[in-house]
Amino acid sequence: MLNVKRVESGYGSMQVLWQPSIQVKKGSITSLLGPNGVGKSTLLNTIFGSIEPWGGEVYYEEENVTRVPTHKKVEMGIALVPEGKHLFSNMTVYENLSMGAYLKRALAHKEESLELVYTLFPRLKERTQQLAGSMSGGEQQMVTIARALMTRPRLIMLDEPSQGLAPKLVREVFETIQKMKEEIGLTILLIEQNAEASLEAADFVYVMHEGIIKAQGTPDQIKGSAEIREAFLGI
Amino acid sequence: MVVEQMAGNLIQGLVLGAVYGMATMGLSLIFGVLKVVNVGHGAFIMVGAFIALLLFNTLGINPVLAVPLAFLFGLGLGLLFYYSVMQRLIKAPELATLLATFSLGLLLQEVVKLLFGSEYRGYNWAVGKIDLGITVLPMSKLYACAGSALIAVLLYLWFNKTRAGSAMRSVVEDSEGARVCGVNVGAAYALSFSLGIGLTVASGVLLTMFIPVGINPYMGGHYTLKAFVIAVLGGLASPYGAFFGGLVFGLLENGSYTLFALIPGVEPFALTRFFSFLMLLIILLIRPTGLLSEKRT
Repeated sequence: MLNVKRVESGYGSMQVLWQPSIQVKKGSITSLLGPNGVGKSTLLNTIFGSIEPWGGEVYYEEENVTRVPTHKKVEMGIALVPEGKHLFSNMTVYENLSMGAYLKRALAHKEESLELVYTLFPRLKERTQQLAGSMSGGEQQMVTIARALMTRPRLIMLDEPSQGLAPKLVREVFETIQKMKEEIGLTILLIEQNAEASLEAADFVYVMHEGIIKAQGTPDQIKGSAEIREAFLGI
Repeated sequence: MVVEQMAGNLIQGLVLGAVYGMATMGLSLIFGVLKVVNVGHGAFIMVGAFIALLLFNTLGINPVLAVPLAFLFGLGLGLLFYYSVMQRLIKAPELATLLATFSLGLLLQEVVKLLFGSEYRGYNWAVGKIDLGITVLPMSKLYACAGSALIAVLLYLWFNKTRAGSAMRSVVEDSEGARVCGVNVGAAYALSFSLGIGLTVASGVLLTMFIPVGINPYMGGHYTLKAFVIAVLGGLASPYGAFFGGLVFGLLENGSYTLFALIPGVEPFALTRFFSFLMLLIILLIRPTGLLSEKRT
């Protein structure tokens, strides 16, 4: 579904990505592991287009989308749950969700999407009129994921969704990700520092280090290699 | 006597304040969306003043009609400046955008001077006045006030009731969040910059309806300063905050004028300016986010 070929990008004159290539199969959870600051977020932002790629190619459903602007990618069904939430804090939960249904295709299915999102996160239905900024960290993360689902994606990329959450909430986030795959049929690309939980959830894993892909395989293969675990994952 | 004078001046202050508020909305809009401080703000007001002057003196066009024309001219000017200059600087350090808007202001001043000269000019639009007993209000001032209020209401409705308006609000709140919702953030920047310039140029016409004299290429400077005080009063990033900030500023300016005039041997007008900036300093000390700003989390 997503095929990233030898992309390069960075900030200013500092190159961060040194031609990593990854593939995400339709209907799978693909996880990108690695410590902080190795370029995982940069890779997602380059795929999404928030950062302009310097080189390489990004294919989405066989189409070259390397230089397609982000708002068009959202219309094509690619969603990003950015690191650090980026909610609209002075808007209510409902207004945040409505912004997710901003584009025409999403707007046409707004009611269905709301129903879906409220089934997935019943707590949000009770809080539609609350200002997003006044919610707890875990609830804010729900709104962020829900807002991305409102865009009616087929591929959803999540950047550290469990960051800063209590262990119980981390479990909830991973359960939600499983449901998104199994019940909604979404394809998921997940970045996590929480290696154990992601190895549990993923169908396929890439290990990234210093802007390149160091290892790839099924979770069992990765877990089975003491070398990879010790060198890159610290587990 | 003093009470009557004060009441009369406060009414004048409120009417002027509405126009001041309108003249600051463009500054706040551009700051709110692009986080760019338009240091050349006053020069765009000056362009509006010249549009009113020239349309009236050469074609006899009523200043009320000049408002939408100036707005359209400002929109075009805004788009031109956005795509030729500002777009490249959005991600640059703040100093770059400050210098850029400062230079655009200088450029406008010099172009207008080259075309029309630098002497003070004015026009005379006589549409009668109404006597309120305690003060006399020319109709032109009332039109300016009503026009400003109407534009503020229209902007409010556009922001809160339209799809483009909600996109703009989302960019103000969090541009990255807006991007992941599919908002074309680049287009939102271009639109809000040109809308901000359009509003500012239109406000130049409204200000001449209030003070139809003293129009010259360098008239904008003190409006830039006043707009900064008003914008801070109103919470900097909110166009409606700016409108109410303008009302407060108009009342403070005229109210303090009346009081200073009671002190023998004092030139009250000069002290009024001192008072405005004293207010700015005090507000910045006690509420750096602005006096009327909502509680931001």
